[in-house]
Amino acid sequence: MVALDLAELPVREVNERIREAGAAGDDVEILNPDARHHIGVGLIHPITVQVRGSAGYFCAGLSDQAHFEIEHNVGWGLGDNMYSGSVVVGGNAGAIPGVAIRGAEIVVRGNMGSRAGQVMKAGTLCCAGNANFMAGYMMYGGRIIILGDSGERVGEDMTSGDIFVAGKIGDLGSDAKLTDTDSAEIDDIREFLDRYEIPFNGSFQKIVNAGKKLRYGSSERQMRSIPFFTFSGDSDYWNPKVQEDLHIKSQIGRYRIRGYGGARALPHLSDLAFKKDLTNAGGDVDVVSKIEMYTELGGINGANPLKLSMPVMIAPMSYGALSASTKRAVGLASSLSGIAENTGEGGMSDAQRGAAKQLIFQMLGGRLGWNIHDMNRADGLEIYISQGAKPGLGGQLMAKKVTPELARIRGIPHGIDLRSPSRHPDILGADDLVIKVEELREATGYRLPVSVKLGAGRVRDDIKIAVKDGFDFIELDGMQGSTGAGSAEVIDHVGTPTLSAIIEAIDALEGIGRRQDIQLVLMGGIRDGVDAVKALALGADAVGFGTSTIIAGGCIACMQCHVGQCVTGIATQDPEHEARYDPEREAQNIHRFLESVRWQIAAITDALGHSSVSALNRDDLVAVTPEAARITGLEYAPEYRNGNTELDVRIA
Amino acid sequence: MCGIAGIMYKNSPGQDTGKALIDMLDGCQHRGPDSTGFALYEKAYDDQLRLRFFIGEGADAESAVERIRSELAKQEAELLEDEIIGNNYRVTVRFTGNLQHFSYAMEHNAKVISIGTSLEIVKDVGSAHDVDDRYHVSKFEGTHGLGHVRLATESDVKPEASHPFWATGFSDVAIVHNGQITNYWKMRRRLEQRDFQFTTDNDSELIAVYLADKLSQGVALKQALKTSIDDMDGTFSFLVSTSDEIGYAKDHLAAKPMIMYETDELVAIASEEVSLNRLFPGQALNTMEPPPGTYNTWSR
Repeated sequence: MVALDLAELPVREVNERIREAGAAGDDVEILNPDARHHIGVGLIHPITVQVRGSAGYFCAGLSDQAHFEIEHNVGWGLGDNMYSGSVVVGGNAGAIPGVAIRGAEIVVRGNMGSRAGQVMKAGTLCCAGNANFMAGYMMYGGRIIILGDSGERVGEDMTSGDIFVAGKIGDLGSDAKLTDTDSAEIDDIREFLDRYEIPFNGSFQKIVNAGKKLRYGSSERQMRSIPFFTFSGDSDYWNPKVQEDLHIKSQIGRYRIRGYGGARALPHLSDLAFKKDLTNAGGDVDVVSKIEMYTELGGINGANPLKLSMPVMIAPMSYGALSASTKRAVGLASSLSGIAENTGEGGMSDAQRGAAKQLIFQMLGGRLGWNIHDMNRADGLEIYISQGAKPGLGGQLMAKKVTPELARIRGIPHGIDLRSPSRHPDILGADDLVIKVEELREATGYRLPVSVKLGAGRVRDDIKIAVKDGFDFIELDGMQGSTGAGSAEVIDHVGTPTLSAIIEAIDALEGIGRRQDIQLVLMGGIRDGVDAVKALALGADAVGFGTSTIIAGGCIACMQCHVGQCVTGIATQDPEHEARYDPEREAQNIHRFLESVRWQIAAITDALGHSSVSALNRDDLVAVTPEAARITGLEYAPEYRNGNTELDVRIA
Repeated sequence: MCGIAGIMYKNSPGQDTGKALIDMLDGCQHRGPDSTGFALYEKAYDDQLRLRFFIGEGADAESAVERIRSELAKQEAELLEDEIIGNNYRVTVRFTGNLQHFSYAMEHNAKVISIGTSLEIVKDVGSAHDVDDRYHVSKFEGTHGLGHVRLATESDVKPEASHPFWATGFSDVAIVHNGQITNYWKMRRRLEQRDFQFTTDNDSELIAVYLADKLSQGVALKQALKTSIDDMDGTFSFLVSTSDEIGYAKDHLAAKPMIMYETDELVAIASEEVSLNRLFPGQALNTMEPPPGTYNTWSR
């Protein structure tokens, strides 16, 4: 038994020592814990950790196989995301004990706080005392046993799993119902209680999902094939898009879901022009080798940075929205071009990890597929707050795409229309977020950059929070970003355009004198190297390409990503459709597109008179529309619009 | 976007309240690195008021002091003591008139931090230890107090935007709040219709004025906290203090943390247990997390 005293050592060092002890097969006792946060996070060995006192937030979080015995109380997020192992708490637990667990056993001998077992997938959470309100909130599976009273709204929006309550039930949450218990499951509970020496002889009521909210009776009809050009056309009145929308709503009687990007004309990077004549840009065949484009991302606080051969990365897109083959093609292309790929929501598959040399692992509120092992093999971690296409809303993955394999990775029941939570269980403000960021760093030994993905909404405030909470970089996603499935109205009408987003972000950072303390990656409708250079000149450190890589890899822009029957094999999980997709060939196509981006960035940077992308700046740009001038504060210079001969005169 | 703390010594005439609050706030400084503040209560002198003002520095400070002195004279407040500490001007006056009118008049001429027979608010940018270095909070012995650490988002990092907030127009009422009142403007308009004035757009000031208004109508603090939970929308955990009471209220969703520890000698409440443990190093405390939608008060 190794004794570690938190009155003497900081938490970071204690966690390192616990990991070493685990690897060496030793057990550990923690002295003077004094409710400090993050004790024992990220353990992956069958070690026993005894905490002599009270622990703070996220005790035992992000661990697998470890056993914890905490003598007294614990704070919020006990056993966060545990895969296996056990935790026994002698006293009370704060809010969200057992959040997002995937199979551990957690026992709280006292009372537990609100939202116990939120988004848990498997395992057992047992409370010998009373549970506070919303126990089992949005749980996807597993078992909660409450020997005392349950509090109010128990089982609120649970998808699956069982909640057993021996005491009084406050009231049932939305979409939860009471059902009969069978003797086998009661025997199983008794065996569990005996094992943890909890004397109890009472009876139980059982609460399960009522099945009213997450399963639609009628599925959404496929759209007529309206070409995107028509779909995004100028006429606001009874055009084919509006007619189509009304027809489908008349069938299904609810809001619509579709995939792909926004179809409204908004101010964008194409409303800016370069201040120099670029007619001869790229005349030099060796221009790529002459321009400094290498960019490191995420190392400013000491983590191992991502190493990008140019200031470009792949935007987050999930295995789920996209087929495994498509994720493989994108991953391979990112490796060929020396940039980074991103898992998006829903976990990391071996195929993705194998294909991408540099891979960011994204964490969302549902914690679908999130786990310590994939964190450890990632090159960066990312907390998703929202995305540009649908800021403030959770992800949607229609039942057609929730295959048994996807359900297994994500830890959810097969065949539901998956609506990912729009909020994180443990991030309800900037103050909680800072503790969460620290948990991810503690669990992975401070090796990995931690970024935040923000959909552009209240950009100024969000950016300030991101820098104050110590993120290494921000992925800022404007309204022109796409999605695999989102509410149609939201995609077109909610959010802040990418152009405004970058300006607001830079203003916010400079306004508090913190521009140098964080890096900024802009995404949301970046189409080519020209857009990329404009974004860099406005102040981004790098840009993210999503939709454009998918189009380069064969997408035909039919906007049916959500349906799951993508004929190109991209946005589908149907093997018959996916068979049409050749990942090796498409990887080459995407790679060639990325190389064209590289060439454009180099040629324009050169033509603007710079030798490095880091020298690009606002002075390289003008605005060619009044709106863009107003948004960016750049000079309004309509004479720079394409084909204007005055330009040549001016330059001459 | 912050952390809160409060402590009351139930029996003894005066303890290291300042030091205790510094320790508690240092324990949760990660929740709010931008600014730190304290509401501190000493023994009250009935006919004396202590006022604190932000006066800035240099020539600004000189002219602010002049304005304050002349307004005090105009309001017939007899100046007993005054001193400049950091960017604060602290005065003790004898005043027997209408306090609400007096404080609005002062507010129109200077940035008032607090007015009270026993309350003094000390707040500024920086950490608990930074503020202590500037204002010597650790030397403060008192009966009870509140503390706050803030991460600024909507408003700037300015001393006057830091917490605690004083209930403008009412002596000795202070508040620290973690959360967001979403029906702020609706509630504020209601109070403005009744001639209350607000000096910031901060929702914490609203809670303070709301409670002080109830108190001035003779409603008990506990009852005022009860109605506040129904009247305020949003997510909140807040602490309130008067010259002889301390209390908390927590909204129905309990999205903002709060934890308390009580003995025969004291009650301490904080955002996180790690703050409470700072008062009792090496001890496992029998703490209690107040349930959603609850409130309570303690008095001495």
